[in-house]
Amino acid sequence: MIKLSGIVKEYHIAGDAIPVLRGIDLSVGRGDFLSIMGPSGSGKSSLLYILGCLDRPVRGTYLLDGVDVCHASDEERSRLRANQIGFVFQTFNLIPSLSLFENVELPFLYADGDDDRPVKERVMAVIEQVGLGDRIKHRPSELSGGEMQRTAIARAAVMNPKLILADEPTGNLDSETGRRILELFHEFHAKGTTIIMVTHDRAVASHADTRITLKDGKIVSFSA
Amino acid sequence: MEKSSHSLRNASQTLKVAFRSLTQHKLRTGLSILGIVCGVMAVMAMIAIGEGARQKVLRQIEQLGIRNIYIRAISLTDEQRRKAGESLSSGLNLKDADRIRFGCRHVRDAACLKVLTTSPLGMAKEISPQIAAVSSTYAELLNIFVDRGRFIADQDVARGNLVCVPGSRVVESLGAEGRLGKHIRIENLMFKIVGILERFGQKREDTSVMAVRNYDEMIFIPLGTIREKRDTDELTEIVVQVRKTREVYKAEESLKRIMAVSHHHMADYQMVVPQELLRQVQKTRRMFNIVLGAIAGISLIVGGIGIMNIMLATVSERTKEIGIRRAVGATRRDIMVQFLAESLMLTFAGGVFGVMLGALTVWLISGLGRWDTAITLPAILLPLLMSALVGICFGLYPAWQAARTDPVIALGHAR
Ligand SMILES: Nc1ncnc2c1ncn2[C@@H]1O[C@H](COP(=O)(O)OP(=O)(O)OP(=O)(O)O)[C@@H](O)[C@H]1O
Ligand SMILES: [Mg+2]
Repeated sequence: MIKLSGIVKEYHIAGDAIPVLRGIDLSVGRGDFLSIMGPSGSGKSSLLYILGCLDRPVRGTYLLDGVDVCHASDEERSRLRANQIGFVFQTFNLIPSLSLFENVELPFLYADGDDDRPVKERVMAVIEQVGLGDRIKHRPSELSGGEMQRTAIARAAVMNPKLILADEPTGNLDSETGRRILELFHEFHAKGTTIIMVTHDRAVASHADTRITLKDGKIVSFSA
Repeated sequence: MEKSSHSLRNASQTLKVAFRSLTQHKLRTGLSILGIVCGVMAVMAMIAIGEGARQKVLRQIEQLGIRNIYIRAISLTDEQRRKAGESLSSGLNLKDADRIRFGCRHVRDAACLKVLTTSPLGMAKEISPQIAAVSSTYAELLNIFVDRGRFIADQDVARGNLVCVPGSRVVESLGAEGRLGKHIRIENLMFKIVGILERFGQKREDTSVMAVRNYDEMIFIPLGTIREKRDTDELTEIVVQVRKTREVYKAEESLKRIMAVSHHHMADYQMVVPQELLRQVQKTRRMFNIVLGAIAGISLIVGGIGIMNIMLATVSERTKEIGIRRAVGATRRDIMVQFLAESLMLTFAGGVFGVMLGALTVWLISGLGRWDTAITLPAILLPLLMSALVGICFGLYPAWQAARTDPVIALGHAR
């Protein structure tokens, strides 16, 4: 499903190119659960943004279901994000002025309507799934960290994407809450969703089918 | 179907988000649209005043007759009168009327009026009616209507019948004597009332070019029935009606020629064309419009800058939100549209408030200043349209800023 080859990413500071990813080759199959580990600054988030079609590499190709997404237009990449990719961030990234329900509903504004079920029903179904059915009117500021992260997961999953990307989804949560969040990922994985998760936690990584470790922008270990 | 319901939901959601973000910072929103509100208010008030003036003139012209040309005698000093006699001009008279009627093909008809200096006897003190000897066509050409009876007829003039048609106030002051068939005494003659004019009253409207006669306080008698001392056949006024409205200026030219010849180039008369009023008004309107445009332009630009300022602040405040929306699939265009909708809503709200305050202003102006105003549809729609335009124009740059925000930076990954 995902095929990365020779991905290079650099950031520019005062004219100097700082390499962050130095040639990543990786394939992920449909329905895989991949974890990415590595020290801080090794380029995990940078890789995830590229995988999520939010950022473009300087060099290399990224084929998503055979489509070269690096050279696709903003329109096409946005469509992919809307319909096929769900993002979960370490810092939740909910819109503070919207209610829980509206935050989860957000992708519908930009996605293609290909499901006959009414939006409201679909949104409610996924909110129930993450166990927040009684909180739909709450604002993010009125939710706990775990609740916010479950909202973010509901948002990522609401369009039934093929791929869910998570950047340290449990990093800001206590271990018990984190464990429950991981269960949710397992539920989606069980339904056939491909999951790629960045984590610092070895225990968390052990849930994954495939584990890679990054260091200085390179994959230094791969285990399946 | 699927697609359209999707974009419909998108539009309503966009508006909802915009509305919420504006109502979240009420004070800030209010302050930022102040410029627009003032601009719209000013524009609306000015349009209403201009329109009021225009309508007033139209009413005046309607009264004077859009197809009419007035030729009025100018009262001469004795010196001038002597000169006029030498140059064989005998003032404005019936012959002029005939020359005009038959000498110009644009003319449909002409009517003559001679205001007498005598007053009737047996009148209540509060009114002093004016007596006017007229030809039978006068009523028709000036849209004067008879309430009861009839107006002066051709025969009355031809035979010198002693009949009269008084106005409504005259009749009122006569009391029981003010009825059809009764008589009014003028000089030593008894004039039989054969008709009573319709009340003119409120319709009266003085113009800048000429005063409209107050028919309510007039008594019309047939031309030639009373000869005053020292009298010639001099008329006070000849009203000429032209066949077609657009021939008025052509007719005026040819009347000038006819009159110049018969009066031996003596300027003992004056020509007034009511249509000219319209021209004058249009001329002053042009000036007015330039001033209006300048004020509107300045206030709307100032207002627009206020909008742009606030929108730039909003965009930078909501960078994260932009990143989140992009992450869940918003295109650059979606983001652009969202912020444009917001600035549009902002200025439109300003427009609505402005129109409301503008209506209040107009109401105050016409009430306190006793100016003629008229709030027409353009006076409402034009300012609203302008405010919307300002919203789009000045919202464009902030919206573009929002759209080009790199989602990776917006999400706080790279800075
Ligand atoms: N805009 C930028 N300009 C320059 N350097 C950047 C920029 N964004 C990130 N970097 C650098 O790129 C490197 C990789 O960053 P990245 O966030 O991908 O690492 P990470 O593995 O996710 O780290 P962490 O575990 O702390 O989240 C870091 O050294 C970081 O300082
Ligand atoms: Mg990171």
